[in-house]
Amino acid sequence: MKVSGKKDLQILKEKGLASLFPDKTRIMVGMATCCISKGADKVMTGIKEEVKKRGFKANVVPVGCTGLCYKEPTVEVIQPGKPKITYGDITPERVPQLIEAVGKGGVKKEWALYQTEREDLLLDGGYHAYCSKGAAKELKALPKHSEIPFLKKQRKIILRNSGLINPENIEEYAARGGYSSLLKAVTQMKPQELIDEVTKAGLRGRSGGGFPAGIKWLSCSRAEGKVKYIICNISEGDPGIGMHKSLVESDPHSILEGMIIAAYAIGAKEGYIYISSGYSLGLQRMEKAVKDARTCGFLGKNILKSGFDFTVRVKEGGGAYVCGEETALIKAIEGDWGEPRQRPPFPAVSGLWGKPTVINNVETLANVPLIVSKGAKWYSSIGSDKSKGTKVFSLIGEVNRAGLIEVPLGITLKEIIYDIGGGIPKGKSFKAVQMGGTAGGCIPKSLSNLSVDYETLAQAGSAMSSGGLIIMDEKTCMVDVVKYFLSFLEGESCGKCTPCRVGVRRMREVLTDISKGKGKKEDLELLEKMAKLIKEGALCNLGKTAPNPFLSTLRYFRDEYLAHIQRKKCPAGVCTS
Amino acid sequence: MTVRPMVTLRINGKEVKVPKGTTVLEAARKLDISIPTLCYHEALTPYGGCRLCVVEVTRDGASSIASSCSYEVAEGLEVKTETDTVLEIRKFVVELLLAEAPEAKVLKDLAQELGIKPSKRFKPRNELCIACGQCIRACKEIVGVSAIDFAKRGYEKIAASPFFERSPDCIGCGTCYNICPTGAITLKDIAEGEKAVLPDGSEITGPARIIDNWKVGLEMKRCKQCGEPFAPQFQLEYFSKKVNLPEDFFEVCVECRVL
Repeated sequence: MKVSGKKDLQILKEKGLASLFPDKTRIMVGMATCCISKGADKVMTGIKEEVKKRGFKANVVPVGCTGLCYKEPTVEVIQPGKPKITYGDITPERVPQLIEAVGKGGVKKEWALYQTEREDLLLDGGYHAYCSKGAAKELKALPKHSEIPFLKKQRKIILRNSGLINPENIEEYAARGGYSSLLKAVTQMKPQELIDEVTKAGLRGRSGGGFPAGIKWLSCSRAEGKVKYIICNISEGDPGIGMHKSLVESDPHSILEGMIIAAYAIGAKEGYIYISSGYSLGLQRMEKAVKDARTCGFLGKNILKSGFDFTVRVKEGGGAYVCGEETALIKAIEGDWGEPRQRPPFPAVSGLWGKPTVINNVETLANVPLIVSKGAKWYSSIGSDKSKGTKVFSLIGEVNRAGLIEVPLGITLKEIIYDIGGGIPKGKSFKAVQMGGTAGGCIPKSLSNLSVDYETLAQAGSAMSSGGLIIMDEKTCMVDVVKYFLSFLEGESCGKCTPCRVGVRRMREVLTDISKGKGKKEDLELLEKMAKLIKEGALCNLGKTAPNPFLSTLRYFRDEYLAHIQRKKCPAGVCTS
Repeated sequence: MTVRPMVTLRINGKEVKVPKGTTVLEAARKLDISIPTLCYHEALTPYGGCRLCVVEVTRDGASSIASSCSYEVAEGLEVKTETDTVLEIRKFVVELLLAEAPEAKVLKDLAQELGIKPSKRFKPRNELCIACGQCIRACKEIVGVSAIDFAKRGYEKIAASPFFERSPDCIGCGTCYNICPTGAITLKDIAEGEKAVLPDGSEITGPARIIDNWKVGLEMKRCKQCGEPFAPQFQLEYFSKKVNLPEDFFEVCVECRVL
């Protein structure tokens, strides 16, 4: 349906509410890439068959990632008047028994993880109650949502819809307050007011160095020229990390809504969503979101009767890691080699096709509707002094509860690793955490009280970057880890500038020698010098940050390097000489 | 003609006034300040890849390292062309490239100039192509053919013909051969009756021009008057078509035409 104002949006919302909280059973299967890789698609098919076979009425709906990656495949069941039950480890074999119980209106307690009595409606305020308080006496033993250690310290505002709504259903997105921020922005706010609000909120870029989003918008909005562009960057490529992938697969409209508001604020009439290859599900869901938003009139001419026009094109990239870099991404959209160029000119002044362009990361944009709806004051009350809001992380590696998490900035590493992640498996001890992907650095156990915010991480030689948290235990060799990161970057370097193309390769060769027990005593000094000059001399941030994993591990684990060089020993027993 | 507004900046403390749009490298040369370059060529769009021409620029109080060939001047810009860091980066770049192409004269000369000895730690690679991209830019911007481009990425990045097969567009003009700073491109003219086998297995009989890098062999056109081969037939056809010349325009060579 075409939405042209508040009334229409309300109708869309009510349709969504009827679908989200129907008067019959709703079975939700986590169907993001992470879930599917663990067999969620088979679980989904199995559930549909079982429901049909047993002849009871239920909507079986694919949803995004619930974040509980360590318990995937996950299934959630809503039955009228009863709490929502979350199940974990639902293999295809377990489906018949689960559906048998659900069909009878019951709960399969062995596989149930927790129950939820009410769902917060963050944007509208208030909540939706699944049942009256204490309605489920027989479920007394089943922990409540708020009692689960994995969830207790999380604050899900960006992921508010992830795992709850069908990402391909715009009505369900609207049911959760979706597109009301856009309505407010284009009908009640001037572009400059939006820029001020985002600046006041303290929103910082959710990849790279955490540049203030409001300042980026302001310089683009002030740049000369009538034609301006906005680009949404969905191209995280760090090995093993998938926050952005999950977000775009779980809640594409939240990104799109943020992007449309940003376009209005900077005066862009056209935008591009750049999705790296390898995001096939995300691409499909984003394309559907764009199509539906167009049908509803959130995109196109005279959006919500405000006089504002905006169109979006979804562009699939080739998958090069370097195309996450702004200037390389622009060249890739233009159809050229994805190679970075020197800045200035900054894209905000001269970007796509030489026009002023704002490039925002997917998570940055997903923050925008929240700021518009709830206000800068509310937003800036979350987080630490200089780092506002929350951050989504991929918590992976040697940790008991791996998953997609969202925490308020300023939380300590310890809280993430132990309280949320449940510590290190198999009784081993925690050694270090690699943060910020290949551009980041390793933080040792001794610093686990560190506050997770932009400045503190940078001081510790690491980075927030796009948000990977790779937990490593005592059996990890730091030389080996750095060798891995450098060989990844060696392969992903575009090859344009000498320090990155040749320098990173030569660093990796020297490290390989060290790991094989062929290191020379002057090697550490050489590597340090190379790292310094690559940081200074490389053209773009891929090269400039490439030495970070080496530098951070040398800072905290110098003894380990020395053991490899002087004693020809790998203390962790990983490298073989 | 519109006059470009002038911009004032300081390089090594000396003030210089240049038109807007000038690069730092050009401005420095105006002051006779020498900055070494490698991937730069005045006839081509700056690439900013080799990082030999780096300088320290200070703008609005913030300093950074930038390649002078691709950095546009700005009002009040402060440039330092020989800080310790700048010199260290230049040496590092030459040291790295010298291990890639130890035989390249341009690198040997630079090494001598900057006082660098070949690194013992880096195993020599003996790959003359240092991915400066001059051949590619010349083919595109000067010749207008775009017969070649970069292939692969990272350490494997190299100027190549499409899919590493015989370039269908190369006109054998030799601009790439002449512009290459390291001599990575081999161009050879074979004489009348001389035979050669091309990388795709086909045989060619002279007079012909062979460029190994792009896997091409092109037959040469003979001058109607003196009988000497003077340019690849394919190249002459390309030019004739491009500027719409009469059919017999290239029947004689340049020398015979003058006579």
